[in-house]
Amino acid sequence: MLSSLRLRVPFSLPSLCYGVVGTLLVVYIGLIAVIMSYATLTVEFSQSVRNDEAAIALLEGRYLADISRITGTNYAAEGYAKPAVKAFVRAESVTALR
Amino acid sequence: MRAQFRSRIRLVLAFVLFVALCILVRLYFIQIVHGEEYTAKADRQFASGGSGLFDRGSIYFTRKDGTLISAATLATGFLVAINPQTLSDPEAAYAAVANVAENALSREAFLAAAQKKNQVYIEVAHRLSEEEGEALASKKIPGVQVLRERWRYYPGASLAAQAIGIVSYGSGDTLSGRTGLEAAYDGALGRSGDSLYKNFFAELFSNVGNLLVAARDAREGDIITTIEPEVQMRLEDDLAEITERYASKESGGIIMDPATGAILAFVSSPSYDGNDLTSVDPRRLGSPLVEHVYEFGSIMKPITMAAALDAGVVTPETTYNDTGCISVSGANICNWDLKARGVVSVNQIIMQSLNVGAAWLATRLGQDDFRSYFTTLFGQKTGIDLPNESGALIGNLAKSQQVGYATAAFGQGIAVTPMQMVRALGALANGGAMVKPHLVRAVRLDSGIERELDWGEKVPVFSAAAVRETATMMGALHDRILGGGKAMIPTMSVAAKTGTAQLTMPGGGYYTDRFFHSFTGFFPSYSPRFIILLYTNDPKNVQYASETLEPAFLDLVHFLIDYYEVPPDRGFATTTPA
Repeated sequence: MLSSLRLRVPFSLPSLCYGVVGTLLVVYIGLIAVIMSYATLTVEFSQSVRNDEAAIALLEGRYLADISRITGTNYAAEGYAKPAVKAFVRAESVTALR
Repeated sequence: MRAQFRSRIRLVLAFVLFVALCILVRLYFIQIVHGEEYTAKADRQFASGGSGLFDRGSIYFTRKDGTLISAATLATGFLVAINPQTLSDPEAAYAAVANVAENALSREAFLAAAQKKNQVYIEVAHRLSEEEGEALASKKIPGVQVLRERWRYYPGASLAAQAIGIVSYGSGDTLSGRTGLEAAYDGALGRSGDSLYKNFFAELFSNVGNLLVAARDAREGDIITTIEPEVQMRLEDDLAEITERYASKESGGIIMDPATGAILAFVSSPSYDGNDLTSVDPRRLGSPLVEHVYEFGSIMKPITMAAALDAGVVTPETTYNDTGCISVSGANICNWDLKARGVVSVNQIIMQSLNVGAAWLATRLGQDDFRSYFTTLFGQKTGIDLPNESGALIGNLAKSQQVGYATAAFGQGIAVTPMQMVRALGALANGGAMVKPHLVRAVRLDSGIERELDWGEKVPVFSAAAVRETATMMGALHDRILGGGKAMIPTMSVAAKTGTAQLTMPGGGYYTDRFFHSFTGFFPSYSPRFIILLYTNDPKNVQYASETLEPAFLDLVHFLIDYYEVPPDRGFATTTPA
C-alpha cells in the first residue's frame, strides 16, 4: 500500500517537511526584518516629530518674548505723546440699508 | 541495530540534560549569587535612560482666536557623558566639552569624574543644542559620548509660571509634576517610559490587550488651558510695575469670565522662570492665589450689600443714619475718614465705602442669615484645578459676638483666598450664581480626541435683581468717584470697588500704617464678560488702593475692550479729557 503511494508522489515526505520548515524559517526571518524595520522607523519618526515640536517651541518662545517686549514698551519714552482728548463716537454704519 | 540506536538516543539525551544543567547553574550564579552586583552594574550603564527618553504631554495657552501656543513643552538636544574606563586623555576631553557646553562640570569635577575607573557612565554636561552636540560628536573623542536628551521647556519663561507649575524629581528617580497644572494633571501629562524603545517581540505577545484597547491613549494627552497669553502678559506687566513701584511684599491678580469660570489671566508677582530653577526661592513655587488667605477689606461690601438686598432687609432707597463711628461688642468701628455722613442712602455704603454702613447692613441681616450667605460663598474650597487649595478662615462667623459679623461685612476679621474672592464676586457678575473657576478647558488625548472638561456646576446665591442693584451702585462708583469722574467710559458701563484693609499683627490686632490693597470690577456691568480682581500686599508709603491699583485696573479695562473688541453697551458721542 505504502509502496504504491510512493510511486504516485513525485517527492518524499522528509523532503516535503524540509521544504515546509525552510519556507517557515525564511518567513520568520522576513517577519523579524519587517518588525525591526518598523521599530526603527517608529523611533526615527517619533524623534523627528519631537525635534519639530522643539523647533516650534523655540519659535513660540520668540513670539511670546516679542509680545512681552511690545507690552512692556514705554511709548512716552519712545517719543509718542499722550492724546490731549479721547473722543467716543458712534461707529459708522457698514451697510447701505440703514 | 535497535540497541545501537537506543544507546545513541540516550547519549544525546544525557548531553542535552548536561547542557541544561550547566545553564541552570550559570543562571543561579548570575541571578542569585551575583544578582546585586549585576543589578548595580546595569543601573550604572543605563543611568541615562530616564533623562534621555523623558517624555511628557504639552500644556497650551489659548489665544482669543483659538490658536494654541505652548506653555510647557519638550526641548530636544544632547547630553555629554564620559566613560572613565575608556577615556584616555581627560584634559583634552574636558577642553573639547567645555568649548561647546556652557553648563559643563568644572575642570576639577570633570577630572575627578574621569578618575572613577570603576564606573562606565558619568554625565558631565546637559542641554546642548543640535549644533553643539553634533560639533562635539564629530570629534569622536574616545570615552566621550554625545547622547540625545529631552527636557521640559517653558517658551514663556515666567509667563503664568505659578499656574503652569514645574516638573522635578520627587523621592524617586522619576520626573513628575510638582506644582500647578503640571501636578494637577500629572496623570494626563505623564508618559509611560517605554513608549519609544521596547522589545517588540515581548510587546507583541505580552500586550495583546493593549493592541486591541489602548488604555493609555484614553488617558494620556495634552492640556489646553483657558489662559490667554496676551491678557496674561498685560496683567503680569501691570502687577510687576505695582510691586516694584510700591515695594510691595507681593501682588496678584485674576481675570475671569464670570459666566463660565474660565480664567484668562492668573498672576502672582514676584514670579520665577520655570526654565531656570537653580536660584528660585521655593516659597514662590506655590500659588498664593489659591494657597494663601487674606483679609480683603472693602471689596467685600458689594457682597454684603447683595446679601442684604437679596434677603429683602434693605432696598436701594433705604436710608440709615451714619454716625462715623459705632461701638459693637465693645469695639469701635469707624469710617475710613472717621467722618459722619448723617442720614444717607445705602448706595453710599458702596460709593463712599462706609464701614459703619456695612456694619449696619450686617445687623439688619441678622447673624443667621449673614452666616448662611457667607458660608455659601466662602465655606467651601472653589474646586479649581490646582493643587494645595486652602480654605477660608471664617471662624468669627461661628461665634455670637456681633463684632465678628460687623467687621466681616467690610472684609476684616475673615480671610479668604483670592480665588474664593473672585468666585464670590463673580456671582455679582453672573446673575447671582457662583461658577467653578478653572484653568483647563480640554484634554487633547493622544488618540486625537479632544475631550472638553465639564465645569458647568453653578451655585445660586443671590437673586438677579439683588446683583443688578449692587452692580448699579458699583457702576456709579466707577463713573462718578474713580479718578474724580475721569475714569468713566461713555460707551461702556463698568462696575468697580476698591478695598483697603489693615494688616494683622502677629500677636493680634492690626497695624495702623500697613495695608492690604484690593480692587475688583467687571464689565459690561449688566452682562459682564470679564471680572478683574487685583491686590497688592503691604505697599510702602501709600495708604489707599485707589492710589496703587486704580491705574492698573483702568489700563486692563481699556486693554480688554480693545483687544476683544467688546461692543459698547451704552453709546453716545462725547469727548472727555485724557
